[in-house]
Amino acid sequence: MSQSPTVNIQIPAQSDFVGVVRLAVSGIASRMNFSIDEIEDIKVAVSEACTNAVQHAYGGGAGTIDIAFTLHAEKLEVVVKDSGKGFDPANAVSAKQDGANDALFGLGLGLTFIRTLMDFSEIESVPGRGTVVRMIKNTPVATTA
Amino acid sequence: MVIEFSVAVENDGVVPVVRVSGEIDVYTCPKLHKVLTEVVDSGKIKVVLDLQNVHYIDSTGLGTIAHSARSLSKSEGQLNVICSRPQVRKVFEISGLSSKNINLFEEESKALLA
Repeated sequence: MSQSPTVNIQIPAQSDFVGVVRLAVSGIASRMNFSIDEIEDIKVAVSEACTNAVQHAYGGGAGTIDIAFTLHAEKLEVVVKDSGKGFDPANAVSAKQDGANDALFGLGLGLTFIRTLMDFSEIESVPGRGTVVRMIKNTPVATTA
Repeated sequence: MVIEFSVAVENDGVVPVVRVSGEIDVYTCPKLHKVLTEVVDSGKIKVVLDLQNVHYIDSTGLGTIAHSARSLSKSEGQLNVICSRPQVRKVFEISGLSSKNINLFEEESKALLA
């Protein structure tokens, strides 16, 4: 059995490169017969993971974000990784929590989008060592089988 | 194809209309934030935000819109958002913001009159 192909992208942790990742998501997800709505869902989730890294990982300093797309037969697996300062996911407030400051609100909302729009997601973040967001969207074939 | 981001304010009528095109994300959001803050700080009670030509919005954009809506509501004002694209509406609905002090409309005429 052949290995699932993987597409690797590395971007600078800068806001103007997040749109480049969205373009890549569209191209990759289109190859896998996802519907337009599903492609939009994946775009939002992957973009939010990159945005979190841009905003929180490097404290405004230089750094990179690695995005790996693995095209399995039954699912698209996306891993977004940075080597920044990390955070405690428990401190990210709920999207619906009132009174949060805007930065924490955005972080909490981004995580809410990832959890809601993908079929599976997990976040590993260790203060001082970076963050890895892994997420999966099942392909239409896998969903209907 | 990426549609270039733009934001402009129409002050022709009683209610200012902020029209946005393109994608609202972590890169373009500061421009929206600046314009919305200027409109809200000008003392208007009601503001309409036209997102009909917005193809993508993320958490930073929603945060900015929520911030403006909060500022308006403190002075008994309101933010009416025109949003007809299903994917953009979906993002508002997941966020829970559409059930708070942000009013979503599909048509501009209704957003202006509400």
